[in-house]
Amino acid sequence: MSVPPFPYTGPESLREPITDALASVIDPEVAMTIVDVGLIYGVTVTDDAVHVRLTMTSAACPVTDLILEDVEDALDRVVDPDMKIEVELVWEPPWSSERMSPRARAFMGW
Amino acid sequence: MRERRRDSLPITFAARAVFLAAVLATLCAGIAGGLARAGVWLPLFESAWAGRAVSAHALLMISGFLGTVIGLERAVAVKRRAAFVAPLCSSFAGLCALAGAASWAAWLAALAAAVFTGVNVLVVSRQRAAHTAVLLGGACAWLVGTLLDALGARSDAVLPWLLSFLVLTIAAERLEMARLMRHRKGALASLLALLAALLLAAAACSFSARWGGLVFGLALMGLASWLLSFDIARRTVFARGLSRYMAMCLLLGYAWLAVSGAAWVGMSFGYGARDAALHALALGFVLSMVMGHAPVILPALTRIKLHYSRWFYLPLVLLHASLVARLAWGSLDAQWKARGAVANVAAIVLFALTMAGAALAWRARHATPRTRERAS
Repeated sequence: MSVPPFPYTGPESLREPITDALASVIDPEVAMTIVDVGLIYGVTVTDDAVHVRLTMTSAACPVTDLILEDVEDALDRVVDPDMKIEVELVWEPPWSSERMSPRARAFMGW
Repeated sequence: MRERRRDSLPITFAARAVFLAAVLATLCAGIAGGLARAGVWLPLFESAWAGRAVSAHALLMISGFLGTVIGLERAVAVKRRAAFVAPLCSSFAGLCALAGAASWAAWLAALAAAVFTGVNVLVVSRQRAAHTAVLLGGACAWLVGTLLDALGARSDAVLPWLLSFLVLTIAAERLEMARLMRHRKGALASLLALLAALLLAAAACSFSARWGGLVFGLALMGLASWLLSFDIARRTVFARGLSRYMAMCLLLGYAWLAVSGAAWVGMSFGYGARDAALHALALGFVLSMVMGHAPVILPALTRIKLHYSRWFYLPLVLLHASLVARLAWGSLDAQWKARGAVANVAAIVLFALTMAGAALAWRARHATPRTRERAS
């Protein structure tokens, strides 16, 4: 992919596995991955932790906890067992359709 | 084992079990009341609670069951302990109705709706958007309906408000999803105008069932055409698996919403279309939404994961086919209405069994290798 789907800071060797892990989490309602919908705001990998900032399309979304859990499970499979996984839910800036990937926009008829 | 961050509320297993029992009791009684109303007779209907379930059918199904499920869903989303007071009150409203305390039931439902309205004010304060405002509008409709009921208003005046609560709640969720699709200019404004018309019509039903019902029906038909035009289900129906199943539930539901709207219009002109007006909406539209969303909402509420399979379509097909039988032939022949209602209930039971089977299937597929060895 020419444009990175979200800001990433950390070792290059983990960029692809982490991106693939996050892209394995699917929101069935919209039939797209959370990376394609643009829910991931950024990933920071330090020596002992992976920190993911993500948002939801709605503050009234009851599935939030499940998606956070799926993200943790997906990261759990690709990062070192000693590393801490931190998934932070943020609401600023609010999600907008401009955050969707070109593939997602094509699927939704933009 | 890696340390995990968990900030979900510490709701105990016992509290979940009590909630589930109250909701199930309310649902079963509401269904029994509905069967009796549709002309089905069973020996157990001779008991006192069954008589109460017949008269309180709408309260049991809308406030007691759906209000509780929606209240739970919102409480889980906002992560505030106080938000659980709403589903607690609405589930106990159902139990009070069955125990013969009709007045307590009505006021508890109103209290549930009041707390739920407060929860939605919180949602709006967290995210100022059109869809959260519509959610709040739905909560207010529930509050007005339950207050009118508690104050002794006629069901003709109460029901449009209670149904508006369900319609606005679903419309809000669809509007949120519709942000993923590109829209024509004026799409949002036209939806808000339709929903405003729906609420004005619900208010007008207190004064004129004819004119109120006419506008209510036209607003429902307009909403159905908006959803069929702008919902993401138009796109996701071309996906596969669970996403496609959910989209099918939605699109079929929108067709029934249009049928319900037409029936409300027909009623205002004196046609006997009450069963279609109420149940094309409550079963065809709302229950179809429930069936579509349960595979993602149930795991969020219960922490039990489900494995999708094609069997999910079986209860869906039965629901819609039985509704056609009930509303098309039932309007001509009372026996068909009763048969259709029994098949509606069979669809609900089959759906519950399908979800239970999906939970077992998920467990079997995610069993540890050691368990697999033992199982084989």
